[in-house]
This record gives sequence, structure tokens and C-alpha cells, in this order.
Amino acid sequence: MGKVTGFIDHDRKDRQYINVKQRLKSFNEFTKPLNKNELKNQASRCMDCGIPYCHSSCPVNNIIPDWNNLVYEGDFKKAIEVLHSTNNFPEFTGRICPAPCEAACTLNIDDTPVTIKTIECAIIDKAWKNDWIKPEISSKKINKNVAIIGSGPAGLAAAQQLARNGFKTTVFEKNNKVGGLLRYGIPDFKMEKHLIDRRIDQMSKEGVIFKTSVDVGKDITLKQIKNNYDAILLTIGSEEARDLNIPGRNVEGIYPAMDFLPFQNKAVSGEIKKNDIKVNAKNKNVVVIGGGDTGSDCIGTSFRQGAKRVTQLEIMPMPPKKENKDLTWPYWPHKLRTSSSQEEGAIRDWSVMTESFETKDGKVKGLNCIKLDASLKPIKKSNFFIKADLVLLAMGFIHPKHDGLVSKSKLKKDNRGNLLANTSNYMTSEKSIFTAGDARRGQSLVVWAIREGREAAAAIEDYLFS
Amino acid sequence: MNSLGGRSNTGEGGEERDRYKLRKNGDNLKSAIKQVASGRFGVTTEYLVNSTDIQIKIAQGAKPGEGGQLPGHKVDQVIADVRFSTPGVGLISPPPHHDIYSIEDLAQLIFDLKNVNPKARISVKLVSEIGVGTVAAGVAKSKADHITISGFEGGTGASPLTSIKHAGSPWELGLAETQQTLVLNNLRSRIALQVDGGLRTGRDVIIGALLGADEFGFSTAPLISIGCIMMRKCHLNTCPVGIATQRPELRKKFKGTPDDVIKFFFFIAEEVRKILAEMGFTRLDEIIGRTDKLQFNKAISNWKNKGLDFSKLFYSPKREKGVDVFNTQKQEHNVKNVKDRKFIKIFNSNYTKGKQLIINDKVYNTDRSLGAMFSGHLAKKFGHEGLKEDSIKINLVGTAGQSFGAFTSYGITLNLEGEGNDYVGKGLSGGKIFIKPTTDSRIIPEKSIIVGNTVLYGAIAGECYFRGIAGERFAVRNSGAWTVVEGLGDHGCEYMTGGVVVCLGETGKNFGAGMSGGLAYILDKENKFQENCNFSLIELLNIKNKKKLNKKFLNYEFLNSNMLGYHAERLYYLLTRHFKYTSSKKAFKVLSNFENSLRNFKLVLPIDYKRALSNDYNISSTKIRKKG
Repeated sequence: MGKVTGFIDHDRKDRQYINVKQRLKSFNEFTKPLNKNELKNQASRCMDCGIPYCHSSCPVNNIIPDWNNLVYEGDFKKAIEVLHSTNNFPEFTGRICPAPCEAACTLNIDDTPVTIKTIECAIIDKAWKNDWIKPEISSKKINKNVAIIGSGPAGLAAAQQLARNGFKTTVFEKNNKVGGLLRYGIPDFKMEKHLIDRRIDQMSKEGVIFKTSVDVGKDITLKQIKNNYDAILLTIGSEEARDLNIPGRNVEGIYPAMDFLPFQNKAVSGEIKKNDIKVNAKNKNVVVIGGGDTGSDCIGTSFRQGAKRVTQLEIMPMPPKKENKDLTWPYWPHKLRTSSSQEEGAIRDWSVMTESFETKDGKVKGLNCIKLDASLKPIKKSNFFIKADLVLLAMGFIHPKHDGLVSKSKLKKDNRGNLLANTSNYMTSEKSIFTAGDARRGQSLVVWAIREGREAAAAIEDYLFS
Repeated sequence: MNSLGGRSNTGEGGEERDRYKLRKNGDNLKSAIKQVASGRFGVTTEYLVNSTDIQIKIAQGAKPGEGGQLPGHKVDQVIADVRFSTPGVGLISPPPHHDIYSIEDLAQLIFDLKNVNPKARISVKLVSEIGVGTVAAGVAKSKADHITISGFEGGTGASPLTSIKHAGSPWELGLAETQQTLVLNNLRSRIALQVDGGLRTGRDVIIGALLGADEFGFSTAPLISIGCIMMRKCHLNTCPVGIATQRPELRKKFKGTPDDVIKFFFFIAEEVRKILAEMGFTRLDEIIGRTDKLQFNKAISNWKNKGLDFSKLFYSPKREKGVDVFNTQKQEHNVKNVKDRKFIKIFNSNYTKGKQLIINDKVYNTDRSLGAMFSGHLAKKFGHEGLKEDSIKINLVGTAGQSFGAFTSYGITLNLEGEGNDYVGKGLSGGKIFIKPTTDSRIIPEKSIIVGNTVLYGAIAGECYFRGIAGERFAVRNSGAWTVVEGLGDHGCEYMTGGVVVCLGETGKNFGAGMSGGLAYILDKENKFQENCNFSLIELLNIKNKKKLNKKFLNYEFLNSNMLGYHAERLYYLLTRHFKYTSSKKAFKVLSNFENSLRNFKLVLPIDYKRALSNDYNISSTKIRKKG
């Protein structure tokens, strides 16, 4: 802790956004980084707590007080070393992590936590800019082959850890490009995709082999892979979206979020042409069902595509504006949050259940909704109608896709349909096959995926050496 | 705590005086246990008489053997008032008690405190370590009523990391040893045994009782109930939840309520009751020392604990019939027939306001702590302000016992013809003490010791004039007393934070070590004094030779509120009084050629003190005193 009274001398000041009108013009990121002095002041606010709650609430256990101090002292080079020691991809988490660390910050007792995420992002951005980040090529080579199936954050983190320790690591990805949800789910305006490319380049130099457009379970069987590799890590994500099977569901204009978002991402990167965006919100009345992060991504994308109006419905009641700190801190509080996308003009409504879709000529025309009470029971005569040309379902993901790889194997599942494995050895019911990330724990944060990827890599090493 | 029937502990920093009065709604805010630590901060007679227990803190579980420091930036006006010190000047609590160098010294301190407040239990806080049992037996024989065994898990967030990690030992070990030793020596029943140091649950209480504790101390756990998040920033003044900080903007963030603490202790009590019921007992007393009820087979079946031998820890010594294993009796303190009882009687029947009461008596070296009980009596009636100067004059002839004039209150003047012993004027709280040889004595006062070691230790206010030389550790931790002496031994004015010392003769070595406040004037004709100084916190200055003294300034109030100036006046003021009260030849010699003698004096000025006072904190160290 460089400055004892930093938190008294400086108010919290976080990154600002470019104004809504400007940012809707493109799919680029729109956060403005803090200037050098302000960043130093913000870093000085960290108190280096005797019990650093931020440290333990961060899924990758980032050593936050240490790099806050290093930023205060201006030693970014050391800071990125410390940051990288726990987190493979701070440029991802520095942009899209909801920052449970900040919720746990001692200063969050007064709602003014240290801007940890902003500082993290500044460290890594500066490190890339100054070309401090080089491939860390292992000096030893271990003659063991590891296959990683799925190139989301869990798979990438595991691959990097293994390659750096000298294992022959191959990543299989069913899509054209690696990154998983990072690439195809998270819109560019939240995280630009060249950030992934940069990392993939680094990882390739570290020895990771990427095999794209290979759908394990279809193009190649798990058994075939097993024959050629000493260990397999399944980081296949949790892609099975929750559906809404109500009258009118099977008409045109109603899509799960992941049938909508990837088009735009691919168009931005040039993977497809703009005209090939099959589900487009342009000039449409859009209704997003589901109030989570995916819902927000649908909203932001819709606005940028030129939607007429975007409404977001949430089945749960509206959370309190301010949490009860005595009950929540240092845990992640349940409270009303407004995402940058919601801020762009979405109409939000809570305690709403959709009973049926109004359709005409095989196309959706609107939603018949009803309000719910606190115990999620419909309130009589509270029915209402919302006009809609495009309905996006963003109601969460329930488990990994069973069709294909999973159904063809004998891997055991937990009672939620995820692949069964514990967090001490990450091994599935089948020896030498491991699993981590959303595939194991269910849908979650990128930062959890990185943690599980790292831990699974270590578990695989233990297994291969035992 | 008072509403709970519990007892809170002041810690070593003194207590704000307005807490001594009951609140309108009947709330009693004062801490029942008053701590007397090595720093003696704020230990006034009034503080002591407002206590239920007085605790002598020998050491702290989290950092045994270490002192403490309150850095200058944390000493604000409130703290300075309570501790009778100067805002902005750091306070050092020395590692040892300067009046405890042996178990007899401890017995003497216990006797002193018992005299000041005969109703209070005197407690001694020890640290859990190997051999604590023997120490505890000694403490029990020194007539303490209460012993606290402190483990290493508690302790403030300001404790040094090295100590937190490496010093101290678990309370279980120390408690078991203490209990066994006390029972073996048939001392257990006269003393109450308390344990603290990281107790958190009712289960801890039960285990403590089984190992032999009567009482239980909690601090970190209830602190957490009022919002502490263990930041370990107590020493930085930046506690973000407003507990361990003096910054007003941070203190505002404090959200705790007395209710939180009350609830915490109810839960503890409830858990204790449940476990007791499970064990088949109805009262906690029934299980004290019942180590046979402790099961450990399951605990040591774990692979990590295999091979551990608990038999010595859980050993229950054989005892004769009728020997209790918990606190059932009271100590015999021998304070029934002290001379002060006589003084109190005379005072109660003869004192009228505005008239001087004169008592003449003889004194013998068996009269220990003379003046302490009488002062306690006055402090209870009149508070710290006491009575007008010289309201009661006690003329004594003879050799005083130890702790002559300890804790003497404002209004009492002790005039001794003869000699003092160790600890004269310990904790002096405003009274005056003169000691001079008898007129028929053949000794040469200037060359003879007249008072012993550790004189004026922890003095708060008052005046002392000694015609003769003092022993070692003179005026250690003096906060405000003004004194004249004609020579002193080693370690003079150590850790002093206020007051004035005039020495008309040679000093011993290590003068002014850790001295962060107050002034000393040393007569140093031969220019040898600086060899004896410890210059870590002080500087030496010459006094300006003044042709003419301004008589207008020759009064205590003025001189005390302008400590950085008027040195000639201050010296003159003190020397005239010294001569008046003790007929000192040395004082006469200086005064008769005052202007020229001034150049022979050296002024000892603590550097931080100078900085703080010149920053215009504008504070007098004994602001509290309102002259009657």
C-alpha cells in the first residue's frame, strides 16, 4: 500500500463510456480509459487490507492489493507479472468481468470500491502496448499429448498452462475461429476480437496446436482422440439454451440469443458478409426475454443494428436499488444493476411472464404477457400485450449440449445435466478424460472458466505424472 | 457491558472522565476494569477509584515482552486530554513496568492500588507461556485477587507481524499450567482465574472452564460484532469502519451499537448453557478444573494429530480435602490498619471548607503507600480536581515506607522530615510532596540519597521537592508533575511526556531516553551532563541569560501554558518554592546569584514536543486542572 490515506484523499472515479448516440454508430468498444494520474490516484485508494476480501472473492484469486500498489508506484512491468501469475487473460476479464472483487472491496461498504477492474485492464493494455508480453516457451518438452475440446476461456487457459509446462497440447474447436463464447457470444462492443487473436498468436508460439472446424462427436469421435492422446479435457461449455415452450413458439421471428448474436460477431470480423446476417433487428420491435448478461448483449446488438424499439422482460421481481450491506458484503449482492446496453434505451419490465406468442402468417406479432406476484404466481387480470417483430430468448443455458459428443460417450452427468467431475481432480467418470468450465459447473463467468481451466490443467499434470 | 453484567476493560489508554457519571437513562458508561500498564497513561487517582477491577498488565498475549506506541499523528486532543499529554506527540508505552523489577515490587504495586481503591479487585494480566504457572503462584502470593492468562490469538491489529506470527502461545497451555500450579500450592481458591486471547465461542468458554478458568475475556469477537473487519490497520489511523481511528470522517462510518455486543454475548451464554446441559451440569462452577470431562480421542485420531500426548495438559493434581479448585475465598490484603484510615477519620470529622487542616504524625518504614488511601477517598468525593492547594497539610517525621505519597490528590501536602523510599509520588495526582532531612540530621543533603528508585513514575500532576539526591529511573513516564531534586541516578526522565524536572546536581547515564515531552533543567557547572544524555528524542539548549525577571509571569498557570518559553521564570518559580519548602542550601545559592547561575543550566527539550507545541496546538499538559 503506497499511500495510507489514498482512500480518504481520492473519491472513486471509474472509466466513463462514450455517449450513447456516438457509441451506437459502431460495434467498437466504448469505454474511455482513465488517464495516468487518475489511474495512480485510484490505485492508491487500495488499503492493502489485513484480510483482502477482494483476493478471495476473485475466482482466480488475483493478488489485487499487490498490483494496485505497483500501479500506484508506476511499476506496470512488475504489475503485469503479478497479474499474469494468477490470470492468463486479464484483457478479457478487465473488460467483461462483473468484478466480484469490487463487490467484496472493503470500500464497497460505502459503495466506493477501488476500481479494480479498470486498473487490471490498464495494466494489461499497457503491457500489450509496450510489447512486454512475449510467448513463454517451455524449455522442457514432455512427451505427453493432451487434447482440449472446446476453445472457450476454460480451454484456452488450460491449454496455455499445459503448453507452458511443456505438454503437447492440441485444442479442437468446432467453429472456424477459436474463442468460443468469447468470440461468438460476447459482442464486439464489449470486447473486440483482435484481443483474442493476439492471445492465440502468443499461444501458438508457445506450442499450442489449434484445430478449428472440427466438431468432436461428429467429424471425429471421442474414442479416436482418446487413442491418440494421453489426456482429454472437455471444455465444451454449456450451450443448451433454456427454451420457452408456449403456444406460438414455432413461428418465424423467435430465436434463442445464440442464434442471433454470432451473426453480428461474424459480420464484424468479416467471417460472413453483412447481408448474410440471417436474424437482424433492423427496424424491428424487439423483445428480449431474460434479464441477464446475454439479454443485455441482445439489446446492445439490436440497437446497433437499428432496432425500432427494444423491450426486455424479466420474470423475477425488480431487485432492490441498494443492497443491505450487513447481509451481503463481502459477497455478490442481489441488487438492481443497469448494463451499458440497457442504458442505451431499453424498456425494462420485471415480474413478467409470457403466456403465449401472438402470430400471423407464421410470423410473430407480439407477446401475451401477465404480471407475477412476489411468489411468481400470476396476478389475475394483469394481462397485457407487447408488439414484437423479433423475440430473442435469453433465459440462460441449462447444460452442455448432449447431442453428439456427450450422448455418444458413457460420461456420467450430474443431476443438472452437466458433466460430472469434482474440483480436486476434474476427472470425469472416465479415466484420462477431464472436464472444466461451464461444461462442468454450468453457465458462469469467464473468470470462473479461467480458474477451472488452470486448475484442470494442474490436475491433468498430476494425473499424467502419477 | 455494564448492562450485561459483564466488565469492559479500558486498556492502557485511560478513560474519559465524563464516563464516570451515570447517564440520565441510568446507563453506566464507565469501564469496570481499569488497566494499569507500563505507560500509566491517564492513571489518576480518580481513574482508579472509579473501577471495579484494576488490572496490572504485565504483558499482552499477542506481543509478549513488547511495549506499545501511539504514533504522534493519532494523538489528537481527546486522546491527549485522557492521557495528560500533548496532541501530536507520540506516546511510548515501555516494555517493562518501571516499578516492577521483582515479585516483591509487584506485591507493592498491588498494595498501592488496593490502598487507593480497597473495594476493587486487583488483577494481574500474564501471558500464556512455559513457566507461567510459577509466575502465577508468585502473583497469587503477592495478593492479587485475579489473574488473567492471555493467549496469543487475540491482540490488536497494530501488533507487529513478527510478534503475531512468532510470539506467545495458546491460552490452553498457559491456563492448564496455571491451574495445576495454583491447585498444587493450595492457592487456587483465593484467586479468580481469567482466560483470554482469541476466545470466540461458547465452546471456547466451556473448554476454558474445564481447564480451570473462572472468567473469560473476549475482545476481537465482539469487536467484529460491531463491524471490525480485521483490516490490521489499527496503527495507521485509517480504520475504514471507524473503530481504530481518530479521524472524524472515518469515525462517522462506525455502525456498531451496544445491542450488537449484547446479542453476541447472549449467543455465547446460550451456547454455554446448551453444552452444560449436554454434559449434565447446571452451573459453570461445577465444571471448573474438570479436565476429566475433556474428550480428545477423536481429535487425535486424525493423522495430523497422531502421537500428541495430552496427559500433562489435562493432568488434574491431587488435592487435599477442602481445597477448592475455583475462586471461593478472598485475599487478605492487610489494608485494615494503614495510617490513611486515621487520616480519613480526622478529615471526615474535622475538615471544613476553606480552612487548612493540619495533621502531625510520625512515619515508619512499615507505613507503605502512605497517602494513597486518603487520596482515593478524596478522589471519590471531589474527583480529579480534588481540593484547593494545601487544604490538608500532613507533617510527618521519620522514614517513610515504599510508595510514599503514591497517587496523592490535589489538596494534600505531604511534608516529610526524614527520608523517602522507593516509588515516592508514584502516580502523583496533583498533591504536593516535600522531603528533607531532619534538622538534627548530620548528613550532607546535597551528597546524600533522600528518595529511592522510580520516584514519580507515571505522575499526572503535582509538585515534589526533594532536598537530596534521588535514585534511578527518576520521573519515568512523568506526565505533568513539576519537581526539584538535587541529583539523580541513571535513566532519569525516561519516557517522560510532560511536566518539569529541575536537577541541581549530577545525573546518571541514559538521561532522557524515550522522553517525548516535558522539560528538564539540569545544573551542569562542569559541562559534563551531555555525556549522560540519550539523544534519540531530545536536544540540549542553553537558557538565555535574563537580566530582569518578569514577576508577573511567576505563576503556575502561565508557565504551564507557555512551556516553550520563560525558562528563567520557570526555574526561578520552582527554585524559590524548593527553598521555601525544604530550606535547600543549593537552591539558596543559585537564587542568590540567579542571573549568573542561569548559564550553568542546560535545558532538555524533546524535539517532537517542541514541534507539536510550536505548531500551536496550544495545549497545556494539565489542562484539566482548575485551581480551586
